[in-house]
Order: sequence, then C-alpha cells, then structure tokens
Amino acid sequence: MDNKKEILEEVSEADTKNKPREFRGLYKHVKISVRTLDIIIVTCIAVILIVVALDLRNPGFTITFDSKGGTDVDSVNRMYGELLEVIEVPTREGYEFTGWYIDHSCTEQWDQEGDKIETDLTLYAGWKEKKSE
Amino acid sequence: MTNPLMKVKQVSADYKQMDAKDRKRFWVDGILNNALYILMAIFIIYTASVKPAFLTLGSFANLITQVAAYLPMALGIAGCIVLTGTDLSAGRISGLTAAVAAVMLQKSDFANKMFQNIPEVTVGWILVVLLGVVAIGAFIGLVNGFFVAKFSLHPFIVTLSTQLITYGIILWFFGLNGNNGQPISGLSKEYKDLVGGEMFRLGNVAIPTYVLYAAILVVVMWFIWNKTAFGKNMFAVGSNAEAAKVSGVNVFWTTVLVHTLAGAMYGYSGFIEGVRSGSVAAATGLNAECDAIAACVIGGVSFVGGTGSISGIILGVFILRIIFVALTMLGVDSSSLYIIKGAIILCACALDMRKYLVKK
Repeated sequence: MDNKKEILEEVSEADTKNKPREFRGLYKHVKISVRTLDIIIVTCIAVILIVVALDLRNPGFTITFDSKGGTDVDSVNRMYGELLEVIEVPTREGYEFTGWYIDHSCTEQWDQEGDKIETDLTLYAGWKEKKSE
Repeated sequence: MTNPLMKVKQVSADYKQMDAKDRKRFWVDGILNNALYILMAIFIIYTASVKPAFLTLGSFANLITQVAAYLPMALGIAGCIVLTGTDLSAGRISGLTAAVAAVMLQKSDFANKMFQNIPEVTVGWILVVLLGVVAIGAFIGLVNGFFVAKFSLHPFIVTLSTQLITYGIILWFFGLNGNNGQPISGLSKEYKDLVGGEMFRLGNVAIPTYVLYAAILVVVMWFIWNKTAFGKNMFAVGSNAEAAKVSGVNVFWTTVLVHTLAGAMYGYSGFIEGVRSGSVAAATGLNAECDAIAACVIGGVSFVGGTGSISGIILGVFILRIIFVALTMLGVDSSSLYIIKGAIILCACALDMRKYLVKK
C-alpha cells in the first residue's frame, strides 16, 4: 500500500515541477487568477447578505388557503414557531366544512393547537357533502 | 493530529516576523479563506441577538436532527467528488426509495392504502424493506458507476440522465393502482417508531433514533475511507487515475463501487425521509444533491479530486444546516434560500480553487 502511495507522489510531483500550479479534476480547464477568485468570494458573500437583508424587511412565512371550491380565504403571515390560531371558516353551497388539511386529499388535519409554522404552507379545506333533507 | 495550541503559537511567532505587506496578506488570506465560517458566525450572532430561542438546547437538538438527516447523502456523494466527479441523481434516487419504503410500510387499516396485499408491518418486514430500498439505490448507483468507469463518460452526463430516468419512474410509481400522483401518507406506527422514535429529550425536543443510525454510518464510512484498500484506492484514483492504474489499482471496479456505495447511501436517505416529513410526494428529494454537494465542498472535499475527510463532511453539513436553521428562524423566505444556496456553492468552489492556487 505505501509503495503505491510513493509512486503516486512521485508521479504527481513530476507533473507539477517546472510548471505553474495547474488545476486537476473538475477544474482541469479552469483559467482563473487568485484576484478574480477573491472578487467572486466577496461578491457571493455580499449577495447572500443583501438577499437576507432584503428578506428581513418582511420576515415570516406565508400560509395560503385553498378552499377547494368554497369562499376565498386570504393568506396570512406568521413567524417561525408560531401557532396558527383561529382561521377564517369558508363556506360552500351544499357542503359542510370539516377543517383545514395539510394535504390535498385531506388525510392529515392541521392541528391548530399543536402544529407550528416552520415553512411556507398551503392548507386545504375539507368538505363533507350535506345530507339532503 | 497537531496540537492546536502549538499551532496558534507557531502562527503568532511567524506573524511577529512578518513585515507590513506580509501582515496585510496574512489578514486578507485569513478572512477570505474562512469567508464561509465568518458568514456563519455573523448569522449565529445576529440570530441569537434577535431570537434568543436560537441559543437554547432545543434549537441545538433540532440542528443535530437535521444534520443526521442530511449527513448520509453527503457521505455518499463525497466519494463521487473524491473521484473528481459528482452525482446529480442523488436526490431523485432518495425520492424513489422514500416512495417505495412508504408504500411498503403503510398502516394496514389506512383507507388510501396503495397496495392491499402487503404483509403486516413488523420489525422483520421493515428490515426487509430497508434492505430492498438500499438495494434499489445501490443498483442505480451501479448503473451510474458502470457508465462512468466503462466509457469514461463524465459523471455529469451519466447522472443527469439517471436523474431524469429515476424521476420518470417515480412519476410512474405514483400513478400506480389509481393513486393518480397523490402523496403517500398513513405510514405505520412501527416504521415511524423504528426510524423516528424518541431516544431521549434535549431541551424538550425529542432526539429521534435516526441520529444514532447516522452516527453508526459515520463510523462505517470512516472505516471504509481510511482503513480499507478500497478507500485508499479511491483516493489514489481521485488524485491521479493514470498513476493509480500504473501502480496496479483496479480503476474500473473502484469507480463502480464508489458509485454503488453512494447509491446505497441515497437509498438509506430515502428510507428515513418518509418518516421525517410524514408523507412522500413526487417532489420528495428534489435538489437534495445540491445540499449534499455544497456541504462536501464546504467541508474540504475538493473538486480537484483525491482529497477529503469524513470529519470535513460532517463539519460541512453542520455549517450549512446552522446557516439554514438560523435563516429559517429569522423568517427568511424559502425562495430566497435557493439564491443563498447557489451563492454558497459558488463561494465554496471559489474558496476551494483559491486554497489550491495559493498553497505553496
């Protein structure tokens, strides 16, 4: 094993001797100076900080409501870790509202007391057909 | 391992001997080379000052949980990067295995169950499913590795095509049995307990069992990378494939095995992903490889090839997660997070190249 390593080191040394340091691997054909790289690094950091700063002017997550045929419910804005307290209840002709669900097929209900906001979210209205009298 | 205290002494002694110009360069180099650490520090300090909850034990527990979930994929993809390649199919492979695992482990009394005649979920059956999805991942990895090794095709091309093919299979899978593309939910309690069950609590936040599994995987991967002939061959092929061939390394099998191992890791990632998010949709795993690649590059697994360490990967995943946990807590929009991720990857690659060029 060590023998192999030595050969490898010799070969790679012979490669780099008498030549300016050139890239290998995925950067093989890259021609770039340290100065340009410095500019890229600083620009990237600046972009990240600017995006965060812009975003923090209006922080929080948007919760939109898909009433699935019922009356429209306006979206609300909440911070990370907050509960979604009382939500407006939509109405729909001939149907009874069963609650807000996380998935479109209405299998997992949103728990207003337990579930906390962790990201942008769309909630779906659940409907049950009213029995005709 | 050098003593960090001795290193600091050495650096300060060197610094005293420098002239003004060298000192300026010392600081510029120091700041630029550690740009991402400084960025992380800025976010930590700012978030902690605005949201005191960020510095609690519960938030730390949340961080550990996230790291444990993202680590396996990074450990897998790192091998491909060491071989100067990459893997774009990682996210979709984990999406496919997540869907397969979820379907096989649905509650027996669940109304929207996709297949009715699946055995009762027991620990034995869960292990069978785990082995099955890991095998699926490994198989797709094997295909990747074969084409890369046999025809010297660039991994970008091969894995981009397997990514799309896998996505097609995912969409097919979600259309089976009248499921019509609906997300798969209603996972059985046994599956949830075995993967995401509470081990202990840290500041009121439960630490799930997959944290333990991630720790085991780290040990296994560390052993493979550092103590086996395969691991040493991998680094040899990564730093110079021609030279490795001359010295008797089987380049073909090393490449194939690295991709297969990576595929197995994505398979495992998918297995825990379903429990983590409660349900599996066709979009599960989308772009997950970007996070994993970014974490590896931040952690010093260089695209130059042949360098990298397990501890570096863990550090990389930690840094990326800390930044994202902080940003989520601040309420930064998820669409902005993509811009930030892109900038971080570009920045990490530029840093990677800079370190390579400046090194004497």
